[in-house]
Amino acid sequence: MLSKSAAKAFFIGGTTLSFAAFILLTLDTIKQVPKQTHAENINEHVIRGKDLWDHNNCMGCHTIMGEGAYYAPELTKVFERRGEGFIRAMLKDPEAMYPGQRKMVNYHFKDEEMTDLIAFFKWIGEVDLNGFPKKPDLSPTANISATSSTAAGAVVVKQLDRPLIFNQMCVACHALGGQGGSVGPALDGVGSRLDKDTIVKRLNDPTSVKADSKMPKLPLTKENIIELSAFLSELKSTGGAK
Amino acid sequence: MKYKSQSVAWYFFAVSMLLFSLQIIYGFIMAFAHMGYDVLHPVIAFNTARAVHTNLLVMWLLSGFMGAAYYIIPEECEQELISPKLAFLQLGAFVAVGVTAIIGFHFNWWEGRKFLEIPRPLDYLVVVDVLLFIYLIGGTIVKSKKKTTTAMVLFFGLFTAALLYLPGMIPTVNQTMDSYWRWWVVHLWVEGVWELIMGGILSFLLIKITGVDREIIEKWLYVIVGFTFLSGILGTGHHYYYIGTPKYWLWIGGFFSALEPIAFLGMAIYAIAMMRKGGKQITNSTAILWTIGCSVMSFVGAGFLGFAHTLPSVNMYTHGTLVTAMHGHMAFWGAYAMIVLSIITYALPNMTGRNLQDSKMNVFAFWASNIGMVFMTIAFGIAGVAQVYLERKMGIDFLSVQKEIEVHFIGLTLAATIFTLGAGAFIWNFIRFGLPKAEAK
Repeated sequence: MLSKSAAKAFFIGGTTLSFAAFILLTLDTIKQVPKQTHAENINEHVIRGKDLWDHNNCMGCHTIMGEGAYYAPELTKVFERRGEGFIRAMLKDPEAMYPGQRKMVNYHFKDEEMTDLIAFFKWIGEVDLNGFPKKPDLSPTANISATSSTAAGAVVVKQLDRPLIFNQMCVACHALGGQGGSVGPALDGVGSRLDKDTIVKRLNDPTSVKADSKMPKLPLTKENIIELSAFLSELKSTGGAK
Repeated sequence: MKYKSQSVAWYFFAVSMLLFSLQIIYGFIMAFAHMGYDVLHPVIAFNTARAVHTNLLVMWLLSGFMGAAYYIIPEECEQELISPKLAFLQLGAFVAVGVTAIIGFHFNWWEGRKFLEIPRPLDYLVVVDVLLFIYLIGGTIVKSKKKTTTAMVLFFGLFTAALLYLPGMIPTVNQTMDSYWRWWVVHLWVEGVWELIMGGILSFLLIKITGVDREIIEKWLYVIVGFTFLSGILGTGHHYYYIGTPKYWLWIGGFFSALEPIAFLGMAIYAIAMMRKGGKQITNSTAILWTIGCSVMSFVGAGFLGFAHTLPSVNMYTHGTLVTAMHGHMAFWGAYAMIVLSIITYALPNMTGRNLQDSKMNVFAFWASNIGMVFMTIAFGIAGVAQVYLERKMGIDFLSVQKEIEVHFIGLTLAATIFTLGAGAFIWNFIRFGLPKAEAK
C-alpha cells in the first residue's frame, strides 16, 4: 500500500518535473514568437493601437485571437475582412453602421487613434495562428450569377466577380446568395428592383431616394460607386422576374 | 471555534457574500443584453458588466479563500493568528482596492486584459495586500510547532497563487506574449494552485466531518495535488494553440490538458470514499452536502466539460465561442464557489454558536443553486454549440447567429433565477447566523 511519504515524493517529483519542462518550453516559445508573429512589424502605431485596445477593454465584448468576450465579432482578421474604410466608419459612429442592432460604445477616437488601431489589426491579422480561424467547412457554396436573356431566348449565365469593396462593406449588413449580414435586406435580384441610376444615388446618399432609409452614408470613392453600381445592377432575379 | 482569532474569518466570509450578490446582478445585465434588451448600455456597457462580473467572482473567491485560511490555519497549527488586527487591516485594504477597481470599470479605467482588468497601479496594491496576508498566515505556521500536511498544502497553494500574480505584470508590446503571460496567471491559478487551495480546504473538511484518520486523508491529498500539477502545468498549453505560439503546444497542451479531469475525478472519489469510511456523528449535514456536491460538480464542470473542448481539433471551432462560457460557469461554481460555500457552512455554527446550518432554507439554498447552475450550463451549452455550427462551420454572419441563439438566453435567465433564489437563501441564512461570538465553542 502507498505510504504517505511515497505520496509526498510523487507530488514533489511530479511538480518539479512538470514545472521544469514548462520553463524550458516557455524559453523556446519566447525565442520563436517574434518570428511567428512578425514582431519586426510592430511599429509605434501597432504599439499605440494595442494600448488603445487594452485601455478601452475591447476584449470585454470582442474576441481577438479567439480570446475575450462573446458579445461582439472576432476581430483577428477584421482588417482583411472589412478593410480600413469600414473600420474607420465603424469607429466613428458604431450605431449608425448597425442601425437598431446590438450596440457598441462610441469611444470618440481621433483620426490618428483610428490609424493606430487599424495598424494593430493589420499586424495581428498577419500573425501565424496555426490555422485559426478555420474557414467554415459546411458553408453552402454561393454561386453568384447573373442571367440575361438573349434575343433568341437562350439564357446565358455568367459568373460575376464580386468587387472587393462589396465583400468588405456591403456583406456586413446585406446577404447575397445566402451569405452576409441580416441587418439590411438581401441583395439578390437587386438589379431587377432598382435601376443603375437609383443604385448610384443610394450609394452616394441612402436617404436621397428613400428618406427613411437607415443605411449609413458609407465612405465610398467615386471608383467604388462605379464598380458597385455596375455589379449590383447586374444582379437580376432569376425565375419570376421579367 | 477553538481559537479566538478564527473569528476574523467571518468578516472575510461576509465580504464574500456581499460581492457574490453583486456578481449575480451583473450577470443578469449581461444575460439581458444577450437577449436583446441592452437598455443599460449607455450606463453599464457590456464590457463593463463583464469585467465587473468576472472580477467580483475572483474577489469573492479570494476573500473566501483568505477567510478559509484564517479559520483553518489556527486550528491546524494549534496557534492563534499572529495578529488579528493586521488581518482586519488586510481585509480593509483588499476591499478598498476591489471597490476602487469596480468603480473604475464604470469609467473606462482598466487594463482590458481578460480576467486581469484591474489597472496597473492597483496591481501593486494587490501585491502588497497579498504579501501582508502571506506574512500573517506564514508567520502563524512558522510560530507553531505543528505543521500539518493540510496546512502546508493550503499555504503552498496561497503562496504560489500570490507569486503567480507577477507574470501577468511582465510588460510586452506583443499581443501574443501578453496573452502568453496572462495565462500563466489565469490558467496556473484555476487549473493549478487554486486546486491546491481547494484540496487543502477539502482535506480539512473531510478530517473534521468524517473523523477518518488524518494520515489517510492527507496521503490521498498528496496524490491528488500531484496529479493536478502533473496535468495542469503543461495543460496550460491548451491556451497556446491558436495565439501565435509554436505548434508543439497543440499536442503538449492537448495531451496534458486531457489528463486534467483525473485530478478532479480523484477529488470526487476521495470525498465520497472518506465520507463512507467515516463513522463520526454528523452534526452538520448541510456542510457534508456542500462538500460532496463541490467534489462532484467540480469534476463535471471543470473536468468533464473542460475536456469536452480541450482537444485541438475541437477547440479550433469552439475557441472564442459561448462553449467556453458553458464550461467556465460550472467549473468556477463547482470547484471554487462551492468549496468556499462548504467551508462557510461548516464554520458558521462554530463561529456564531447558533445551529442554523441544517435549516430548511439552507438545504433549499444548496439544491436551488445547483439545479439552477446545471440548467444555466445546459443553456450556455446549447447556445454555444449552435453558435459553433452556424458561425464557425457554416460561415453565417456573427450578428445573424446571435439573433438566432437569443432564445437560449431566455432559458439561461430562467435557470439563473432559480440559481439566484438558492444563492439568496444561502446569503439570508448567513445573515441569520449573526455575528461571531468569542465564547462559541
